[in-house]
Amino acid sequence: MTIDWYAFLVVFVVALVGAGVLVTLYALGLRLLVAAGRPPVVPPAEFPDAITVLTPKQAAKAEKKAAKAAKKVALSPAQQTLVLALAYACFGLCGACVLAAVALLVFG
Amino acid sequence: MEYVVLTVVLVIVLALFFDFTNGFHDTANAMATPIATGALKPKTAVTLAAGLNLVGALLSTEVSKTVSGGIIREDRISGGVFPSIIFAGLIGAICWNMLTWLLGLPSSSSHALFGGLIGATIVGIGASAVNFGIVVSKIILPALLSPLTAGIIAFIATKLAYAITRRYDKKPDGRDGFRMGQILTSSLVALAHGTNDAQKTMGVITLVFIAVGWQSAGHHEPQFWVVLACAGAIALGTYVGGWRIIRTLGKGLTEVKPAQGFSAETSTAATILASSALGFALSTTQVASGSVIGSGLGRRGSKVNWGTAGRIVIGWVLTLPAAGIVGAISALIVVWLGPWGLALDAVAVAAVVCGLFVRSRLNQVDHTNAVSDVAESGTAVVLDSDPPLTPRQERARQRRKRAKQVRGAAQKSQERAAQERSSAEAKGDRP
Repeated sequence: MTIDWYAFLVVFVVALVGAGVLVTLYALGLRLLVAAGRPPVVPPAEFPDAITVLTPKQAAKAEKKAAKAAKKVALSPAQQTLVLALAYACFGLCGACVLAAVALLVFG
Repeated sequence: MEYVVLTVVLVIVLALFFDFTNGFHDTANAMATPIATGALKPKTAVTLAAGLNLVGALLSTEVSKTVSGGIIREDRISGGVFPSIIFAGLIGAICWNMLTWLLGLPSSSSHALFGGLIGATIVGIGASAVNFGIVVSKIILPALLSPLTAGIIAFIATKLAYAITRRYDKKPDGRDGFRMGQILTSSLVALAHGTNDAQKTMGVITLVFIAVGWQSAGHHEPQFWVVLACAGAIALGTYVGGWRIIRTLGKGLTEVKPAQGFSAETSTAATILASSALGFALSTTQVASGSVIGSGLGRRGSKVNWGTAGRIVIGWVLTLPAAGIVGAISALIVVWLGPWGLALDAVAVAAVVCGLFVRSRLNQVDHTNAVSDVAESGTAVVLDSDPPLTPRQERARQRRKRAKQVRGAAQKSQERAAQERSSAEAKGDRP
């Protein structure tokens, strides 16, 4: 019986690198959005009893806080545009990574 | 000949029914986390999961080739007997799947399938017909390693997500945005589920076709109509299973935050997709559960609830042999009674499925007694409501404390000086 340990290592490394890159790019995108004064406020789609993640009141408070933070950005408008562009580039790269993974699976 | 054709038709029907139950059983794997964090409405989540399971099932056939071309030695099986044995194996898998679903025991549809097939083959043909090398390297080892792999990756991903978005100035950290990202990652998990789970039944149907000579043994690629039928069955099962997800919300996953859910789903999808590409037949339930536990541990101040974790692991370990025993008993009936045994097995599985369905309707099920395997793994990690500070936060706290002490000391010395001044003035005023 021969066990291909190398294949297990490949799965671990590929999954680790893939997940690491995706999470890093997305988190970096969020961080840049915050830096540009546009912190995302995404309230939950529904508020069933079991979910205690964010109530509508908390969501409204978060939106207010985000608007306040946006007014206090220390960047110039040009810098703000650049940081925003970088944030969207990070999200775009995230999408490209996902498409590349699917393409690798289909054609690889 | 008619008997063989009838058996093959029965195997296809049962395999598609298994695929349906697999989708039904596993909808929560992909969609429990985004629903729990409020990233998606339950109905949207279920529809998305069903559609992507369908697409995923059409994307790759590597896992199907592992099932049809490795586990059972084709040179040891004959076309006359083997379809009945596969039928018995599927009965074992379905019975175990339905029973664990009703009792709320942690289980894996994939391992139930493999257990049933292996058990039935050992009893019906003999142990020599099972390729134990492939069983160990492509099923047992991935089963042991995949939850661990997913857990480690989810742990690292969660730490990364929190570290990158952490703020020390109490300003908004933007972590709410992970809720939007979860739509992407949970879709990816649903797609990955289709690439791995739907393949297993495609492999079983192809194996039967090879055994009866309807497909060449050198060609393990499933026929296109088989791919389409399996993809449709798993997608339908996923859609119908949606109501169950809505019931499972109260359990386990209420503590999952969007950043954690995003990391867990990314880890699950990456592990399943990488494994599917190499033909490893994983249990998506186990991978998703491993990720939820790993991401929970990635949050500060979390601890493992070893009692719950142990119960989940015991459920996983039991699935393969338990389904194997049910499959073996079904195969024994077929071997002893021939076509009558097949009929008896078919009646027995219909009775079990109907009985379990009626029993499930009798019990009023709500969020207090509904169980999802992945949601249950959420309870395996205990989170601290007041997590310890990071080293940087601790340093900032020390700085603030020192500054407060300095301010306090300065204020005290000012007060003392003022007091001394006023007492000196009082002395000076005295005649």
